[in-house]
Amino acid sequence: MAASPRDRTTPVVFVVLGILGAAFVALPLVGLITRAPWSRAGEILSEDSSRAALRLSIEVSLLAAGIDLLLGMPLAWLLARKSFAGRTLLRGLVVLPLVMPPVVAGVALLAALGRRGLVGGWLDRTFDLQITFTTGAAVLATAFVSFPLVVLSVEAGLRALDPRLEAAAATMGASRATILRRVTLPLLAPQIVAGVVLAWARALGEFGATLMFAGNLAGRTQTLPLAVFQLSQTDPQGATVLALSLVIVSLGVIVALRRRFLST
Amino acid sequence: MRRSLSAAVLAFVVLCACSSSSSTPTSADATSTRAELTVFAASSLTAAFTQIGTDFEAANPGTIVTFNFGPSDGLARQIESEGAADVFASASGTWMDDVQDKVGVSGRTDFAKNRLIVITPSDNPANIQSFDDLATPGVQVVLAAEGVPVGDYARQALDGAGIAKDVLKNVVSNEADDASVVAKIIAGEADAAIVYSSDVTEQVSPDVQAVEIPDDVNVIATYPIAVVTGAPEPDLGGSFVTFVTSTEGQATLATFGFLPPA
Repeated sequence: MAASPRDRTTPVVFVVLGILGAAFVALPLVGLITRAPWSRAGEILSEDSSRAALRLSIEVSLLAAGIDLLLGMPLAWLLARKSFAGRTLLRGLVVLPLVMPPVVAGVALLAALGRRGLVGGWLDRTFDLQITFTTGAAVLATAFVSFPLVVLSVEAGLRALDPRLEAAAATMGASRATILRRVTLPLLAPQIVAGVVLAWARALGEFGATLMFAGNLAGRTQTLPLAVFQLSQTDPQGATVLALSLVIVSLGVIVALRRRFLST
Repeated sequence: MRRSLSAAVLAFVVLCACSSSSSTPTSADATSTRAELTVFAASSLTAAFTQIGTDFEAANPGTIVTFNFGPSDGLARQIESEGAADVFASASGTWMDDVQDKVGVSGRTDFAKNRLIVITPSDNPANIQSFDDLATPGVQVVLAAEGVPVGDYARQALDGAGIAKDVLKNVVSNEADDASVVAKIIAGEADAAIVYSSDVTEQVSPDVQAVEIPDDVNVIATYPIAVVTGAPEPDLGGSFVTFVTSTEGQATLATFGFLPPA
């Protein structure tokens, strides 16, 4: 494309600060790459505990993203389309897991779903069912912290949607289900995908809430971030290899999907 | 080019201005003798060393003691890669050896011992009455991770009692440090854990039940302390080590359930 007038007036300050910003994000990654003991990479990644952690992380993050989607979309729709008492408060509440320190999220989940928690205590007494220290706990912890990303993204999409398109479909006799399937969802697809991908990536990287609520047991609750942390205590260099595997997985998916769904 | 350079300089100046203004001490009571001592100490020392730090500050006006409590293995790795510690107090000789080999230490001395104990939540949901009860199928046991001294000692004791295989099957979580293990039991999330007897402090004891581990299988932890080579405050670090091993320091450690080093 030929240089437009807009290109010529790109403020230099933006360029400089933008480069600084990019370096700020990229530098730690470069640090990881330079510190990783590449000769031991194969050995570290093929260890049972590493493979178990990677597999568990993928399972847990996908399930969490699924829960976020299942519960987040309807909630986003209510928030965007219905006005009801306490909607503003609910909007704030939904964002909370995103800004809450993950350790606090873990403590809160224990208070609600732990063996002595509000609901968890009842589950334990009535059904002898315990959530803490199970893979389910890891799924819930990661779903909790990533939930707002789906709601925020889908709600923003719904609000930006031109209501006349749905109205037009209705005047042509389309049923509510048809409108949802043929008009609303296709138009909303980029926001849904963006929300789910971000939620998935956040779930994949979750550490604090998982450690607090699900504990740390290889094969059951030790997701990749927990494995990285544990390895960093005894073999910090080895931990960089494991950390890079996590970065590569999430970067790969985000870049691939970004090109497909999120590009301008 | 000139414009971009000046913008970069401007950005740099702004950054410097921000950082210098935030690091300027604003309190008027700052004295020239003010010194900050950084102590890296095993998680199990949290309560005792916090008290000793307060006493040390009182005995040395103008001194501020900052603690970094954590698992001894993790602390050793931090000291080896980042330095920054004046004093290292480890829950095992192994990790002190590691720092001694890789960084160097001076004035190393053993200052306390600790023994292992089983704790359960106050209502003892799995009805643990003896060390061997940890092997009962279905008991939810929490340990510190391997590499963390209390986690390694616990596994040694289990080996000694011949119940390691069954108990390790019951482990539901390998926690990052001693304090995190205790926290899981206080919260009532797990049935039992192996920790140090010093963990059952006055503050903790209402929330837990303690079950003794017999002497013949118990493992005694020995705590070394030393000044780290290259410490920013080596002299003050030396004074702190002396303070910990003094009658006063030893009395405080005894109050918090630690055994004398010899």
